Amino acid sequence: MTRQLLRRLAALLPVALGVATLTFALIHLVPGDPVSAMLGDYAAPADVAQMRHDLKLDLPLWKQYGAFLTALAHGDLGQSISQHEPVARLIGEHYPATLELAGAGLVVAIIIALPLGIIAGADAGGPGDIAAMGFAILGISVPHIYLGPLLMIIFSLRLGWLPLTGRGGFAHLVLPALTMGTALAAILARMLRQSLVQVTGADYMRTARSKGLSERAALIRHGLRNALTPVITLVGLETGALLTGSIVTEMIFSWPGLGRLLMTAINNRDYPLVQGCVLTFALSYVVVNLVTDFLYSAVDPRIRLR
Amino acid sequence: MAQGNLKSTRIVTCAKALARAAITSMLTLAACTKPASLVPPGYLQIDLPTAPTAIDPRITADAISSRTAELIYDSLVRIDRDGAFTGDLAERFERPTPTEIVFYLRRNVRFSDGRPFTARDVKFTYESILSPATLSIKRAGLVELAAVTIIDDYTLSMTTRRPYAPALALATIGIVPYGSPVPGNVANPAPPGTGPFRLARFARDEAVILARNPYHQFPANAVPGLALKVVPDPTVRVLELTEGICGFAENDALQAELVPYLAEQPHLRIVRSPGSTYHYVVFNFRDARLRDLRVRRAIAYAIDREAIVASMIRGNARVASGVLAPENWAYDGDVMQYPYDPAMARSLLEAAGYSAHARPLRLTYMTTPEGLRLAEVLQAMLRRVGIEIDIHTNEWATFYSDLRNGNFDIASSQWVGIGDPHQYYEIFDSHMTPAAGGNNRGDYSNPQMDQLVEAGDTTIDPAARRAIYGDVQKLAAADLPYVSLWWDDNVAAFDRRLAGFAPYPNGSLIALATAAFPVENRTVRNAQ
Repeated sequence: MTRQLLRRLAALLPVALGVATLTFALIHLVPGDPVSAMLGDYAAPADVAQMRHDLKLDLPLWKQYGAFLTALAHGDLGQSISQHEPVARLIGEHYPATLELAGAGLVVAIIIALPLGIIAGADAGGPGDIAAMGFAILGISVPHIYLGPLLMIIFSLRLGWLPLTGRGGFAHLVLPALTMGTALAAILARMLRQSLVQVTGADYMRTARSKGLSERAALIRHGLRNALTPVITLVGLETGALLTGSIVTEMIFSWPGLGRLLMTAINNRDYPLVQGCVLTFALSYVVVNLVTDFLYSAVDPRIRLR
Repeated sequence: MAQGNLKSTRIVTCAKALARAAITSMLTLAACTKPASLVPPGYLQIDLPTAPTAIDPRITADAISSRTAELIYDSLVRIDRDGAFTGDLAERFERPTPTEIVFYLRRNVRFSDGRPFTARDVKFTYESILSPATLSIKRAGLVELAAVTIIDDYTLSMTTRRPYAPALALATIGIVPYGSPVPGNVANPAPPGTGPFRLARFARDEAVILARNPYHQFPANAVPGLALKVVPDPTVRVLELTEGICGFAENDALQAELVPYLAEQPHLRIVRSPGSTYHYVVFNFRDARLRDLRVRRAIAYAIDREAIVASMIRGNARVASGVLAPENWAYDGDVMQYPYDPAMARSLLEAAGYSAHARPLRLTYMTTPEGLRLAEVLQAMLRRVGIEIDIHTNEWATFYSDLRNGNFDIASSQWVGIGDPHQYYEIFDSHMTPAAGGNNRGDYSNPQMDQLVEAGDTTIDPAARRAIYGDVQKLAAADLPYVSLWWDDNVAAFDRRLAGFAPYPNGSLIALATAAFPVENRTVRNAQ
């Protein structure tokens, strides 16, 4: 198990290198220049040249790439051009907020999806199924940009239960997490329902029932466990999407996360900061997938990591 | 089968109970957790659309950062409501020679940490900006500065490399105490200042909390501090204003179409005042078609600017005649005007050899996603006279790069916070191309204009200078390197009980330095 984990972690290195290379290439390919974005409209040509030199932007691209990789290998993400701060410090300030939001969104999604999926799967075609899947369709269809303000108006402004925006205690997390988690909950609930309907008729379920297990015990102990494998795959994929796709929710709820930092960095052509943010997102995605792979084996002993 | 259904119903009931319990527990827990408030009680919350990236006045670049820094740092002189320079840390100033300004500093001024302010702090601030290690955007603006010399603790002089009329603009930079570390290399984002507020907390991308500077005079009942909170979503900003969570928002923070809704709220007051932000269309003179004055004038006549201001901007602007707004001391409105006249536009185009069918005029128009609405309006208006424009929309950095590299036929943009008419030199002098550090992005070249704007920079006498810029404005309107569109109004929405707010044409938040609640402070909900 440990060897497998180490092997998988080692496999992260080429992925990280690929992501770093792609990000470097992309940000240097698009038009726009960090020095003119930073020095502004009135910069003297001598100052522009000096700053290009100071930031090593006057070197050939392959040399800049080499310097970038060397620094990266030493764990140095460089200095943000627009914010005059080390990139690692800025990411360190913003990333916990994004992780917190994505994690809470995931928890909300699972809390909502599990009962809904079970209701719908156990009562396929019945009123519970129709109601749960009706909610699922609604959840998938309502965009964050509408759901967020709607939740704010109800729970914050009308009922006064929760704060409107910003990051703080647990209460601040509820509305953004609900906004992020609802669509995922809907997708997961549909997947769980489908999966449960398929396993209900499986041979092992019939065997479980014939052993005298109640329908509930059979479904929970045997059916649910088997039905969860595709759901976990989906959770893994969607967690990556939650991390990287939190930008809209971060904007609505004034959440100081990595998505907003990345947007600002792109607008300022802040090369080091863009590279740092994208690298963080990409590696998070890969790590989440790794964790998902390990979760498979926990849920289904037939699946072993090789 | 019947038993199966019964079991299934029990599972459903069980799952429903689970769902109910989960949701109820979450809401109960949330309701019990008291929100950790970022905004201290009694503080006036100001909603900002974007976050300040820096507070230190030596490096602030964007408008929001500069406006935040103005609240903490005083400068030697400040631009007043007429766009003229007035003393700030300098009690008075004089110009003994065309290349020298002597500043007499106010005494008994202290930084917010109690240190006394002297000429040494001024010299240090300027040296710090000019040091390459600071990587400051402001270094470029000081290119005309030759030296800052301390005469005594409360007197200093600034000399320029040549007679330079707008030299006082060099003295509008916020002053930090002697020995303040280079920005960015320390955890503290801002040294103390002598302004009305001091930085209490800088939560990057969230809020800037400003408390009163204890060494600064302020009126009784003044708000104890300001909380500049970053709220990127325009709808949420309106919700916060209508609910009394936010006490003040202005200009970029307010969407024009939502202002009438805010005006209906009984606890809010909307104040409109003339602004100086100037919107224009720039022509690229590298294109032979646009070097033809008849084509430029045809485009000017084809744009119905009254209609744009009335419908697209909901009346929150004035149709512009030139770069300088009427409040500016050098303004001259007696210039050639271009009222909406599509027939005139068509006949000018015909005279220039263009017709919609035989030889159509097709131009590339560069804009940003925010400028797309204006682009589409202009496209429709120009199509009526037979000009087709292809709109290219890019995010800001790419658009800006295209603009500086001359990669456009026509484009629209804006100049924010224009004070001194020296701006004309930056944008219309033929030597001031982007490659030379200027902003003549359309490569406009007219020897008469060059002579005028260069004379404007070196003429110190205000009356003579005013006459020169009168001629500059007349020539710019006749020769049309830009089509003037409009000057934005400043629009502020704030708590009706707030007193002491008097808007500045450039939208400066320093107007809030004397903000006060006359009777008892409004209870601000701490739902942030």
